[in-house]
Amino acid sequence: MMWISGGFVFRRGTSAYHKLDPRVKLLISLLMFVATLLVKAVYEMAVVIAFMVAVAAVATVLKRVLRTMAFTALFSAFIFGVNMLATRNLFSSTLYATRFVAIVVSTSLFFITTSPDELEQVMKTFRFPRDIVFAFVTAVRFIPVMMLDTIQIMDAQKSRGLELEKGNILRRVRNMIPILIPLVVNSVVRSGELAEAMESRAYGAVPRPTSLVAYRAGGRDVAVAAAAVLVFALTAYSFYYILPLHLP
Amino acid sequence: MTEILKIDGLSFKYPDSPRKAVSDFDLEIPEGEIVALAGPSGCGKSTLLRTVNGLIPHMYSGDYSGDVLVAGTSVKGSSMRDLAQNVGFLFQNPENQIFMFSVERDVAFGLENLGVPRAEMRKRVDEAIDLLGISSLAQRAPHELSDGQKQRVALAGVLAMRPRLVILDEPMSLLDPKTASELVELVEKLRKELGTTFVVVEHRLDLLVKHADRLVVMSSGRKVIEGSPREVLFGDEAESYGVSVPAVTKVQRMLADDGAVPRDRLMSPPELATAVRGALR
Amino acid sequence: MIRFDDVTFVHQNGVRALDGVTLEVRAGETVAIVGENGAGKTTLVKHVTGLLKPASGRVLVDGADTKSSSTAQLSRKVGVAFQNPDHQLFSETVEEEMSFALKNFGFSPDLVANRVSWGLELFGLEEYRKSSPLVLSGGEKKRLTLACILAWDPQVVILDEPTVGQDSIQKEKLAGTIRMLRSTGKTVVVVSHDIEFLWPIQPRVVVMKGGKVVGDGPASEVMQDRELLESARVAQPQLVEFHHWLGRGPERPFVDPLEARRWVEGGMRP
Repeated sequence: MMWISGGFVFRRGTSAYHKLDPRVKLLISLLMFVATLLVKAVYEMAVVIAFMVAVAAVATVLKRVLRTMAFTALFSAFIFGVNMLATRNLFSSTLYATRFVAIVVSTSLFFITTSPDELEQVMKTFRFPRDIVFAFVTAVRFIPVMMLDTIQIMDAQKSRGLELEKGNILRRVRNMIPILIPLVVNSVVRSGELAEAMESRAYGAVPRPTSLVAYRAGGRDVAVAAAAVLVFALTAYSFYYILPLHLP
Repeated sequence: MTEILKIDGLSFKYPDSPRKAVSDFDLEIPEGEIVALAGPSGCGKSTLLRTVNGLIPHMYSGDYSGDVLVAGTSVKGSSMRDLAQNVGFLFQNPENQIFMFSVERDVAFGLENLGVPRAEMRKRVDEAIDLLGISSLAQRAPHELSDGQKQRVALAGVLAMRPRLVILDEPMSLLDPKTASELVELVEKLRKELGTTFVVVEHRLDLLVKHADRLVVMSSGRKVIEGSPREVLFGDEAESYGVSVPAVTKVQRMLADDGAVPRDRLMSPPELATAVRGALR
Repeated sequence: MIRFDDVTFVHQNGVRALDGVTLEVRAGETVAIVGENGAGKTTLVKHVTGLLKPASGRVLVDGADTKSSSTAQLSRKVGVAFQNPDHQLFSETVEEEMSFALKNFGFSPDLVANRVSWGLELFGLEEYRKSSPLVLSGGEKKRLTLACILAWDPQVVILDEPTVGQDSIQKEKLAGTIRMLRSTGKTVVVVSHDIEFLWPIQPRVVVMKGGKVVGDGPASEVMQDRELLESARVAQPQLVEFHHWLGRGPERPFVDPLEARRWVEGGMRP
């Protein structure tokens, strides 16, 4: 849970990076992602990760990204272990393990700097069906509400003598029932109310709804996108042609 | 005077229910009125409201007879799209009618759905936000708002669609008294400035009676009392239907029965005090 | 019975929900906690059963520090009925719903059956014994949650916004229940916006604002302090306001409309 909320949930920011067009942020994350796949050597991976850390610093989310990397390192230690057992190859095992960290960070950088509204915009750009886009937006919108619901339900049941941490595993699972049932019931009631409110505000009235906010990529967005593509191309080129050092 | 709402012999029964939720209901509301609707819980208020904005029969079907006319047009025969522009509905829990991640986007939600062009939409969103005094919240996310603020945001979203009739379903139940009375003042202001008609469901009438033109009491799906708040609250039936008669009105009613104070209008505590002082002199 | 010693609590988002609260509720008292939304009332309640622990200061329940007791232990003494019944109802039948806490507290099967029947009868829910709690109306759900709590006979009963969504007949019944609890020596704490509901009960009133206790005393005193109520955004009961504008009246404001009428008539008779 901590890992997900720290690594993937958007928090408002004011950095220049936050203000970029969401599609440019998506492009940068995608390029970083592809770069991790092109890498064939550990030092190259170091270059890519260093670049990500630099982006995180510009976006003023360095702390969160470093924490995500630390959490992810636990998983990648596992990947490393399995790989070592299977291949007995220190070099490729290290590459796989670090690649996993790099992939998580590149995705995380996009999600933590892009608001749900912007995500919606990106989905619209790619012509996702309206219903899917809206389902996604509401899901994100209600995460904090559901979390609050859960806390209130737990408080109410603990006040009736429920002890969540008591007993063996089976007992503990059973202890979750008084929490889960009200949570599900509340969610069902909530979705019914949401459906009524949507109908009442003309959801689905026209096939092509308009949008209050126009996301138009400005000169700066185009420049950043161009620079990102250039840096990527140069890096990829250098990995293949200039520095085929075959260092570990 | 033109009626914005006319309910004519309406009955409705949900498919799996043994009895009618609304039965032989008649009501006419002239444009620009504030109407309070009260009654014990489970009396059919929610069902009645849903027949006005078209959720019944467009979303929920059942045995429907009689007719509901909004601005002269039958709800049954209108599309939800047209109804949404004539009838605004503020639901009880503001949380469950805010969809978007920023206040401004949420206020625009209905207009986006209607395909209103961006420039026009911007104008109407800004207007609604100004009207409700929430400009400073325009960029906030829903979870950063208090209950009272959420209520205003949801109402702004309803008003941006410029409905002629707005339904408020127990809008004050989650609010503290001061916030609730601010909401009532706001409703009065909107009625004056925009000429909007309001139907407000509420148990607590102390705040509302000052501004309501009409009070309708429902019980078991039927209309049991209708009149000005004065007529209804001075009558002896209202309380038996679970309507809270304000304490000061109870005093006025008893003293008026004794002939000590007039009964021609509902008095606020200071007004009643003045009248009593006059009687005691 | 309950003691707050200079309690401060800060939420994760940095909001100081309780700010140096010192408060003592004696056994057998009926106390109303009032204040606008966000004044810290619910946070205060959650400290009593140890759902929240103070950042500084301490909370004592029946002499024991909440820091060294579990919520389950504290709840045995303090029953809290939270605002939204849908946050707790989960059983297949009303009867099972009522037994849940009793079983958690280790009551014997005989006693459980006994207490459940007593509670169902007291709250007029006998006919729903075998129904699902989810089919009850809003008012019935509220009564059921209260019955669930009284069934284990806690020394203190805390009601968080009990009148929300209740019509006047249901509120009248609720006021009756509170009076009954008071007469049996229970300590009752009611958190409510509903000043008109609280006034006839004449509780001790604690006024909260911005996480602080800004007023505390008998209802008749606190509710006459217009300046205090204004600053804490709490409404004044209509009868108290009426009394205020009368200028000359009995020393204490009228508790109910009949009393007001008697006074006026007394003045009119020469």
